[in-house]
Amino acid sequence: MKGKVISMKIKESKSRKVFVFFNYIFLAAFGFISLYPFWYVMVASFNTGRDFAKGGVYFWPREFTLENFSHAFKDSRIFDSLSISVERTLIGVVLGLFFTALIAYALSIKTLPGKTFFTFFFYFTTIFGGGMIPYYMLLRDMGLTKSFLLYVIPAVYSFFNFLLLRTYFDSIPAELRESAQIDGAGEAKILFRIFIPLAKPILATLALFIGVGHWNDWFTGAYYQSRPALYPAATLLQKLLGEATASSTIKLGQESNLSTMTSYTSQSLQMAFVMILTMPIVVVYPFLQKYYVKGVMIGSVKG
Amino acid sequence: MRHKVLYLFILPCVVWLLVFCYYPMYGALLAFKAYNYNLGILGSPFVGLQNFEEFIKSPDFWIVMKNTIIISGFKIIFGFPAPILLALLLNEVRGLKFKKAVQTMSYLPYFVSWVVAVSLMTVIFTPYGGIINDIRKHFGLESIFFMGEKKYFYPMVILSDIWKNAGWGSIIYLSALSGVSQELYEAATVDGAGHLKCTWHITLPSIKGTIGIMFIFAVGGILNAGFDQVLLLQQPANTQISEILDTFVLKTGLNYGRFEYATAIGLFKSAFAFALMALTNSVSKKFMDVGIW
Repeated sequence: MKGKVISMKIKESKSRKVFVFFNYIFLAAFGFISLYPFWYVMVASFNTGRDFAKGGVYFWPREFTLENFSHAFKDSRIFDSLSISVERTLIGVVLGLFFTALIAYALSIKTLPGKTFFTFFFYFTTIFGGGMIPYYMLLRDMGLTKSFLLYVIPAVYSFFNFLLLRTYFDSIPAELRESAQIDGAGEAKILFRIFIPLAKPILATLALFIGVGHWNDWFTGAYYQSRPALYPAATLLQKLLGEATASSTIKLGQESNLSTMTSYTSQSLQMAFVMILTMPIVVVYPFLQKYYVKGVMIGSVKG
Repeated sequence: MRHKVLYLFILPCVVWLLVFCYYPMYGALLAFKAYNYNLGILGSPFVGLQNFEEFIKSPDFWIVMKNTIIISGFKIIFGFPAPILLALLLNEVRGLKFKKAVQTMSYLPYFVSWVVAVSLMTVIFTPYGGIINDIRKHFGLESIFFMGEKKYFYPMVILSDIWKNAGWGSIIYLSALSGVSQELYEAATVDGAGHLKCTWHITLPSIKGTIGIMFIFAVGGILNAGFDQVLLLQQPANTQISEILDTFVLKTGLNYGRFEYATAIGLFKSAFAFALMALTNSVSKKFMDVGIW
């Protein structure tokens, strides 16, 4: 009997070791597959396009060049669209944080009459909407479809952001607000001097979510914006992608044979553009990881 | 009034909600009307359910519904368990640095847009120097135009969906897993349960609630089928199998200007999705004791 238990334990730990080994291998592979496409596109963007099209460039540029980037930045369409993306992201983050803070603060105060009603009024919009077409008609009738404001005004609020911040404000002891009130501080002062400084980590997370949302949004530009001069970078990439797939097969083959003056291809230029679009995100998101992981958990529990 | 300032804080949001969320709900009335630009939404004549009828009777209906359900169904079958499996495997890792490194890497795809993701796919799968076809050539295999061939459309959609979202999706399950009591495992091990048994009888039942809720949401979103992903991966060669409700609304509405027809299809979708979610919710409440309302 005793011997049986021991032999089971040994067997168990052996199969356990095999499992642990394969688990590490599998997870490392998954991490690699998550990351490698970005690495690959970076290699492509630093390699001459004609050389890259021959294949065999996987981990390091074979013919290093900065040509793709210099041409991307020289292209006025790319440059202008990037500045629109930067502008909308900055304005969007500031407006988003400001207005979300206002309502999250107000609705975190438990004694406020109508608190539940306002929260439901906001929540309801996440389960029911008018749909794409009535929304488009509204934007058109307001004149937003011809304006930069299309990107910032309709995207100020989101229920998820509100929930995240309110949950955080909820955890701040009510006594803090009461004692500040006794000292004569008004609501605005309490919010901006006490609550917001205390909520810095969660505000950083929100800034990340809102900023990434703006930076990545291609759909608004592609389907609601009627002036191509106002396309943000993500929309321009989508348009370029469309052009590229429409003519990819012939164009690429021709370029690598015929163009003797340049060594870049439409594909290598595009890869440089993808890099320019992706880099800011890649640089920022790991630093905020411990905050947004917590944020997602809060959202999932309450949502 | 005591709370004047607080209501002032709420005011901009209320105005914004009325304009950008509630007004379009009223605009959905369009689905029941024959729209005339000069008469406006309110002034246009009612036609009842005619727009809905037209859609349901059209040959497009079955194609679009079938595609939507197939794509979503595949995503639920393969995409839904992926983050759970990833979380379970990550949970077994004792080396914290390794665990964190894998997590950080697996979150990255979630942070880029589908436009970037599809661009990456295009360069990786292209027959002109792309790594996948390059490797195939090394083994003496033919190049395949993965992004353009119809039969690769569904696999590409499912795999890219897992690639992009599984890492991020695992966050919620990992947090649920961290709440499972260690004592349960110790007790089970004393009783002679192996690791697999522990996972089956302790770990999974402990996160059942989280799985149930996430499943209800997944079913509620079933008719979305990953709108912008599908839209970007759509090509003339695969529209027969890639046209879903949302892309169809977009085309009939914005490209062909059939506003009332497109609104009706959109509304049909919302109502159907809501009904599905309610059904899953009640089934899940009955059998698993979890629900979102």
